[in-house]
Amino acid sequence: MNLKPVPKLALLTALAVFAFNAQAQSSAPTDPQIAAIVVTANQVDIDAGNLALKKGDSKDVKAFAQTMVRDHTGVNQAATDLVHKLNVTPEPNATSESLKKGGDDNLAKLKTLSGKAFDKAYVQHEVAYHEAVLAAIDKTLIPDAQNAELKALLVKVRPAFVAHLDHAKHLEMELNGNGG
Amino acid sequence: MATAANRLAIGVRAATVTLCIAVGAHASLAQAKTWTVKIAGMQFEPATVTVVRGDTVVWVNDDVVAHTATSSVAGGFDSHAIAPGGKWQYQAKAPGRYTYACTFHPTMQATLIVKEKP
Repeated sequence: MNLKPVPKLALLTALAVFAFNAQAQSSAPTDPQIAAIVVTANQVDIDAGNLALKKGDSKDVKAFAQTMVRDHTGVNQAATDLVHKLNVTPEPNATSESLKKGGDDNLAKLKTLSGKAFDKAYVQHEVAYHEAVLAAIDKTLIPDAQNAELKALLVKVRPAFVAHLDHAKHLEMELNGNGG
Repeated sequence: MATAANRLAIGVRAATVTLCIAVGAHASLAQAKTWTVKIAGMQFEPATVTVVRGDTVVWVNDDVVAHTATSSVAGGFDSHAIAPGGKWQYQAKAPGRYTYACTFHPTMQATLIVKEKP
């Protein structure tokens, strides 16, 4: 048994509450709200990646962080291009605000850490973050997106989140194997 | 007359040699093929491509994120970053079986097999 308090709770809670509210109220997010959730979710991981590039300890963790910054910037570019094309203005909402707060809390916690402790906390949060975002993509964002191009973009970016999750899990095992 | 006949014979031989070289070059060009590996959904498609020495392989990135096609052999082929919507091509020179991966996404792995010309 290895149950430890984890820094992912804020993020998981935000997305879980979102999913629950969406079901309970039968009020699916609108496309402008989905756009804001997508952009915020990516930005949160870009910010964490940039911090890890500065404070990360291992070469593999820094390479992962660089990939997160590169990929989530790419996804956000594609999302931004699409909302401009569709003339949609992303609409901040409770979920995007919670994601932002979860990201800020994560950064605040990570800033107090260094060395291997930083790497472990960063990677552990990356696993939780990608699991939570994938759940939201599958249960809410793709099913509720109304515009066909927005839905197609979400479908297209999904494999990147899966690959990131696998990569983060591999790193987590590597870090635990090397440092207990 | 004998001299003229010799000249004619030399001329015919020269023309024949030239023709053979031209045909050979043409045949060689006709045999070289171009193969496309599509990068989409965080995968190389097809995962294994078999080509003949001299053929060209083009990797086309249809994903929304950048990728690389990088040989696992040190000093082997390396596309470096292929931007979303971009492509990179490589002419296969040395026969062999080359595993390659995306250096950004280690789960993305594939194989390039280069055969000797038949």
